[in-house]
Amino acid sequence: MTKQTVLILWAALCGLLLSGCVATEGGLVQTVVVTATPTAQPEGAKIVLRVGTGDSGEGLSPHLRIIEQFEAENPDIQVQLEPVGSGDYYARILTQIAAGDPPDLLQIGDDAVPMFVDKGAFLPLDDFIASEQYPLDTSIYLPGVMAPGQWNDAQYLLPKDFSPLAIYYNKKLFDAAGVAYPQEGWRWEDLLATAQQLTRTSADGTVEQWGIQLPGPWTTGFEYWVAAAGGQLIDAEGTTFAGYLDSPEVQRAVQFYADLYHKYGVAPLPADMNAFGGGNSEFDNGKAAMRLFGRWPQAGMLQNPNLELGVAPLPAGAERAGVLFWGGFGISALSEQPEAAWRFLRYYVGAQGAEVWKDWALPSVASVAESSGLAADPIEGVWLAELNHLADRAYVFTPFWGQTADPALRRVLESVILDPTADVAALLATAAQDAQTALDDLRP
Amino acid sequence: MQHPHPGRARRREAVTFYLLISPWLVGLLTFTLIPIAVSLGISFTRWDMLSPPELVGLRNYARLLDDRLFWQSLTVTARYTLMYVPTELVGGLLLALLMNQVDARGIRLLRTLYYMPSVLSGVAFVVVWMWLFHPEAGLINAGLAQLGVQGPRWLADPHTALTALWMMSLWGLGRTAVIYLAGLRGIPRELYEAAAMDGAGAWRSFVGLTLPLLTPTIFFNLVLSVIATFQTFTSAFVATNGGPLDATLFLVLYLYRKAFQEFQMGYASALAWVLFALILAFTLLVVRSGRWWVYYEGETP
Repeated sequence: MTKQTVLILWAALCGLLLSGCVATEGGLVQTVVVTATPTAQPEGAKIVLRVGTGDSGEGLSPHLRIIEQFEAENPDIQVQLEPVGSGDYYARILTQIAAGDPPDLLQIGDDAVPMFVDKGAFLPLDDFIASEQYPLDTSIYLPGVMAPGQWNDAQYLLPKDFSPLAIYYNKKLFDAAGVAYPQEGWRWEDLLATAQQLTRTSADGTVEQWGIQLPGPWTTGFEYWVAAAGGQLIDAEGTTFAGYLDSPEVQRAVQFYADLYHKYGVAPLPADMNAFGGGNSEFDNGKAAMRLFGRWPQAGMLQNPNLELGVAPLPAGAERAGVLFWGGFGISALSEQPEAAWRFLRYYVGAQGAEVWKDWALPSVASVAESSGLAADPIEGVWLAELNHLADRAYVFTPFWGQTADPALRRVLESVILDPTADVAALLATAAQDAQTALDDLRP
Repeated sequence: MQHPHPGRARRREAVTFYLLISPWLVGLLTFTLIPIAVSLGISFTRWDMLSPPELVGLRNYARLLDDRLFWQSLTVTARYTLMYVPTELVGGLLLALLMNQVDARGIRLLRTLYYMPSVLSGVAFVVVWMWLFHPEAGLINAGLAQLGVQGPRWLADPHTALTALWMMSLWGLGRTAVIYLAGLRGIPRELYEAAAMDGAGAWRSFVGLTLPLLTPTIFFNLVLSVIATFQTFTSAFVATNGGPLDATLFLVLYLYRKAFQEFQMGYASALAWVLFALILAFTLLVVRSGRWWVYYEGETP
């Protein structure tokens, strides 16, 4: 190599070096989907509404169907869907908000609601809901689905779709072992006994069939165990973790969860430690009899020939409790056409929208759940009944949950899953301390 | 006094120059230099992107010192650099020496195959590797089981996760090898012929000839490799998300988490500048060391 060649390569290198101090963005993908307008209108007369969503691919179909119907009934409004198809949706809309140009309507997931609303990113909807011309009857909704959109006693977002947690079970494996299907009213002891009856070990000690597939160190899913143990992860004022995150109730929840993996050996260890414990496929392969999770993969499971699918309610610990996962829409505080945005939002989350949503996810409107037969369905009815047992998730008490206790709790769960001899009480005490330090640092 | 208006001509030339490079210049300013300058400003603030930034002076930098996860990410990054850079330098050279067999049949095909992983999408090949590393269903542990060895839990075990990412990254050796190959091609054949006539065997001519003449290429690869390893992100982001127990929490991954998951833009910008300073310092160190061991053709040794 001569010195000249080296110089040219060095020039190329400088760019690489400089890129070191520009934060990496994980490949933002944005596409704008413009729906066809049914009737020709003079261009100036149309209000154009922009709708931001973190959904992508097949998940856009219900959005587009609702938009199409809405535009047909409201020829003065055109709706543009702006999906951001990657994990960077929040980063994207935060950038748009910082630049003063976010979509008129924004979709937000449950635990992001306090952060966005607390900083004034959304308009309060109560005046719109009670308005003369375009009111919204909030009594049409199923129990619990409005709460995640509220902050400081005002409604900011309305429900798009949701999922509680429940226990999937494979009837084939239950029948083969002669074990009765789980029923409402079963308890942690029953869950353990059932899982033990269904765990089969071969002569050389390898497990051939597991009792239950658990979602690993997934913190939000773990809130079910905390609630069922009668615990609470933070105080109601959202200021204190000590005495909550490390309380005896939370210790019991973590210990039981860890014991299912190690002491009782009824749950396979996570194949990777990513969120949701995504690497496990024992249940799908017919090698685990039960699985604790949300409704999201159900459509695929119903097609799976390894499974004869049943869904059971969550077992009760000290309390009969469950948690909700939720996505909703609100109107951006920067929208220049909030009235038009409200007309669309009202349609979207109202009975008309729910009529479309019921084919994709659980509907949030009670009458739609009834008329479609979903409430009486042996599987869907179980999911809907879980709405009667919802406990508050920790994020509703502080906008800083995700930056404080969530990583601390995650470390506890990873530790007890990795180390059968882990000291649960000591781990939780450290976690409560770490979370408190982080919270004190962030609170104004 | 050859030209009536020398100043004007020079000025016109300058204008033409800036006009011609303006598309690149505008791009550089808008998308690189200005954001870099702004990020320095942001690093002295507390900013969540929703409310206006609040000046906090050096607080973010001071916080770094007490941040356990910052030190953890620094340790992870350093350990990985120490593991990866030597293997890339030596492995890439070995690969290049193999690919340098001019006469071997099918060598072009082999070269293409070795380079191929460098062209593939990073995320796609990480996902494939995740399947290979799967503790129960993965090919690697299945192979080990054939040998009667119980394989580790790879990505799910804090003791093996970083090693697994290192193994994964060796997939990309082809890129280094191609640069080496160019270096090897630049060494004149006559030198080898002369060495052979003087009775030098393969090993002697490798140590006495190839290696010294290759030092600029090795030097270049070393710098490139150090900078790139400090910025490792994709594999950890996709395969482990920094876990388990922060065993693969690279500095850039931590920065990403602070910026785009926790939206602490000020703190993340401070992290970015610390990262920049570190990379700059190490690069300068390597460049300085170069004068002791890099030999340029045409120089008198």
